[in-house]
Amino acid sequence: MTPAEIPLTPPSTAAVALPVENGVTRSDVEQVERALIDASTRVPVLIFYTSAIVWLLLATLLTLLASLKLHMPDLLGGVAFLTWGRLRPAQMDVMLYGWASMVGIGTAIWLMARLSRTTLRHPLLLVAGAGFWNLGVLVGVIGILAGRSTGYEWLEFPPFAALILFVAYSLVVSWAVLMFRFRRSESIYITQWYLLGAFLWFPWMYGAAQIMLFVVPVQGVMQAAVNWWFANNFLYLWLGSIGLGTAYYTIPKVIGRPVYSYHLAAIGFWTYALFASWTGMQRVVDGPFPAWMITASIAAAILAIIPVATVGLNHHMTMRGNFPLMRYSPALRFTVFGAIAYTVFSLVGVLISLRSVARVVHFTEAGMAYTQLGVYAFFTMVMFGAMYYIVPRLVGREWRYASLIKLHFWASTYGIGLMVLMLFAGGMVQGFDLNDPALPFSETTQTILAYLRGQTLASLLLAVAHFVFAAHFGMMLFGLGRTASMPTFLNPQADDVGAHV
Amino acid sequence: MDYSETEDVQQVHAAIQREKREPRVGLEPLSIWLIAVYGLAVFFGGAYLGRFAGNFSGDGLDPLGGAPRVAKAGSSVGGAEVAQLGPVDRGKKIFSANCAVCHQPSGLGAAGQGYPPLAGSEWVVGSTKRLGMILLKGLEGPITVKGQQYGTAVMQPWEKTLTDAKIADVLTYIRQEWGNTAGPVTAEGIAALRKEMAGHTGSFHADDLNAIPADAMLAGGEAAAAPAGAPPAGGASPAPAGATPPKP
Amino acid sequence: MKGLLPLILGIFGTFAFSWAGLTLIPNAQIGHLDPQTDEEGLDAYPAPKSGLAVRGQQVYAANGCVYCHSQQVRADYAGSDIERKWGERRSAPRDYLFERPVLLGKSRLGPDLANIGKRSAVEEPEAAAAPAAAQPAPAGAGASAQPTANASAPATDVRPEGGPAPAPGAPPAASPAPVAAVAAAAPNTAAPVTTVNGEPALYSTAWHHRHLYDPRSFVKHSNMPAYRFLYEKRRIGGEPSADALQLTGDDAPLEGWEIVPTYEAKSLVAYLMSLDQSHPLKEVKNTTVAAPAASPAAAPPTEGAAK
Repeated sequence: MTPAEIPLTPPSTAAVALPVENGVTRSDVEQVERALIDASTRVPVLIFYTSAIVWLLLATLLTLLASLKLHMPDLLGGVAFLTWGRLRPAQMDVMLYGWASMVGIGTAIWLMARLSRTTLRHPLLLVAGAGFWNLGVLVGVIGILAGRSTGYEWLEFPPFAALILFVAYSLVVSWAVLMFRFRRSESIYITQWYLLGAFLWFPWMYGAAQIMLFVVPVQGVMQAAVNWWFANNFLYLWLGSIGLGTAYYTIPKVIGRPVYSYHLAAIGFWTYALFASWTGMQRVVDGPFPAWMITASIAAAILAIIPVATVGLNHHMTMRGNFPLMRYSPALRFTVFGAIAYTVFSLVGVLISLRSVARVVHFTEAGMAYTQLGVYAFFTMVMFGAMYYIVPRLVGREWRYASLIKLHFWASTYGIGLMVLMLFAGGMVQGFDLNDPALPFSETTQTILAYLRGQTLASLLLAVAHFVFAAHFGMMLFGLGRTASMPTFLNPQADDVGAHV
Repeated sequence: MDYSETEDVQQVHAAIQREKREPRVGLEPLSIWLIAVYGLAVFFGGAYLGRFAGNFSGDGLDPLGGAPRVAKAGSSVGGAEVAQLGPVDRGKKIFSANCAVCHQPSGLGAAGQGYPPLAGSEWVVGSTKRLGMILLKGLEGPITVKGQQYGTAVMQPWEKTLTDAKIADVLTYIRQEWGNTAGPVTAEGIAALRKEMAGHTGSFHADDLNAIPADAMLAGGEAAAAPAGAPPAGGASPAPAGATPPKP
Repeated sequence: MKGLLPLILGIFGTFAFSWAGLTLIPNAQIGHLDPQTDEEGLDAYPAPKSGLAVRGQQVYAANGCVYCHSQQVRADYAGSDIERKWGERRSAPRDYLFERPVLLGKSRLGPDLANIGKRSAVEEPEAAAAPAAAQPAPAGAGASAQPTANASAPATDVRPEGGPAPAPGAPPAASPAPVAAVAAAAPNTAAPVTTVNGEPALYSTAWHHRHLYDPRSFVKHSNMPAYRFLYEKRRIGGEPSADALQLTGDDAPLEGWEIVPTYEAKSLVAYLMSLDQSHPLKEVKNTTVAAPAASPAAAPPTEGAAK
């Protein structure tokens, strides 16, 4: 039977009693359909993934160097393009635009195709998009290291690099429109809401920020307002949406059980869109802005507890009874870690934005801990989970070594845990020191040097995790994965466990 | 690269074969306690917004509202509101904008060009009426200041340029700066003087001034207590008589 | 969810709400401020920066100073910024009218710089006597147009050890140059930069240059990176340059060589010296002792006494 002959009829949503037509079950039809979809997304998704991992390794090295230089300021001191003030934005932007955005787009492509039940049309558009995106990030990072940073956080790429990113993005979006145009699923699944949202929000936030900062620059502190409005929306509505959407796919898919409640999902999505988009200004708490702007963002952060609790509960109830599966399935283990981290991230976000707490932790390393919780502990871990699920389907091989996956998981878990702990504890100490005017300023930085050394150790652990993962991914890419009918479980599986990694 | 692609139904990749269906959604209802969490979040969020929004004004930098424009009576220690500079501070600005070119910021004048000093000048710390007349109408011809003859330069009239309040402020300033310690001048006094001198055309000469008694002070009724906004310190109304130093 | 239309409308609607609420409406409120002037239209604040300072702002942004140094002073109820003498009042939107980019910063691994240019200039003479000792001694270390600086330390952030160089326990200071009571008239006295024991006065132009070149020569355990790539080492041909850095110890160049700031370094320092939010603003109440006027009797040397 060739693909052309497969009767691609919409399947019923009921899981029961798949009818048999001409000796081919509906289940068979769905399997072939999936195989066709995966074949169509293979090249672009793998290109996005490979690029993302290369950027991740670069970001890891930059992070490590930047972290070292914080307590060894004379390390490579004379090299202009490796001065700390350039490494720091380069590292962050490679992480955000190189790694997070590319792995997010790659995952979103695959999820969208699967959920829209349509093969990917014009994959070359996406390949070109990936090419331009890589070029944009490369030009941007070189720009930063060469001293062309714009000085706006998370928007340091020189404007011409942003332009290239925009070209790349419109190529990706034109694909998304095509995909939706030809979707064959009758209902739109939760993941698709989030992905669609992310794809429509991103050009808006990025375009608005670019225009309001560089094309028709706004006056004075409004630049900072636009800056932080953008940065938090980048974190929540771009990365966050992709991350949550992915978790909404991976968790029920792996455990083979429907998401607990549609109502919770709908409430969670709309309150998220409404409230999370209003945060951002709490990052400049007590700054030179009308108080209502900052207070509105803090209130929005408090209200964002609604989507956090809702999504958290929905995931929890979906998982209920299936937590032991985390022992076996790498995809599930990473994803659940990420989903829990999302809750922690949001609650920490509320906590540190309250004015009474901000009085202490504002301007300290605690802010960095919060960012790391969001970008790494939540988003990146969810993406790792998705990759552990998706890549075997794209390359037709299973992950080769369970031990490498375990090493990856524990190194990144301990790495990010240690980093957040160090930054947060250091931030608290720093905050109390700063608020004691009798203490000379130089002593406030000295006391946190110990924590910054801890951060270097954490970066080292993360570097181990990333290089292990990259090596493993490379094996898969070059066809060195296992050929087996069983997936690679983290631990030998008991017979009765039904993980479908 | 061979990714074991297959077009045969029976040989779909194992991962896809064993895969579960695409996820679906259940329809469990909301639990009561979740609604309670919503209620709490809305309550605290709303309360926070209400309490710290600073009236949603563009000026309200202070989260507790109440733009600091108006200092609450007696509440702030450093009561001197920046927006409400005292007459001396206002006068200083007027002085540096209009007078300092000739009389110098130091108040020492420039004898070489014929500009007399203000610091320690008997004309400045003496009769406010004479002083007011000079400012309103200007001054021509020779005049003796601190025992020295001046007169090559001309002082222009300021009655059209400066308001009563500004003249009062700048006079108060020069009477209390550079070691001068004479009393303040009020806007009301200048207003009265302006009315009195309305008929006079041209600038005064030293003779005109000497015709005025050396202790002639302008009226500065205590009711007039200075223009709105002057801090209480500035309102030390006319106790000038004592402050007037003896004539040389 | 069945329909695509409500989904897309909702996605647009929620975001439009946030976009309008956090950028458009505030922009209408505070996006078109004018410099504040007094009744006569004089004494405008803030003033546009000089060309050199604008260039310096780009250098500041390009080298990531903003990731460690904030440029905003919080109000007295929200932190100890004012007690740390980082400013006399909180920062307000109007302070940043001409800043582009605005470099508020959100980390303080280094001290706040909102008033660093101001802090160089006038400190109360009493304070000078307190901590790290100041002894004015003219030395042509770098040309500068500032009024004679005193060299007091705000004690918060400056070498508690008394500095690595010559004299640790410097004698209590003679009070520095006649602090400009008549401030307006002062600058043309063209005094050379005051120095302390042969070192540039705190936060003076020469101080900044040396600090950028070797931060640890002033603050022993500082973790600020050195910005030596902004300086040029060259052979002295004929007369030594007037702006060459006066370096001692390990940093001192070999005989016949000198270290001079590049254009970038000069503009960066010009930018730092231009940072000054001390001018009163109508919309902000001064939290410390008012009287920004000439009276030097205002500030009690609390800082010095504390440490």
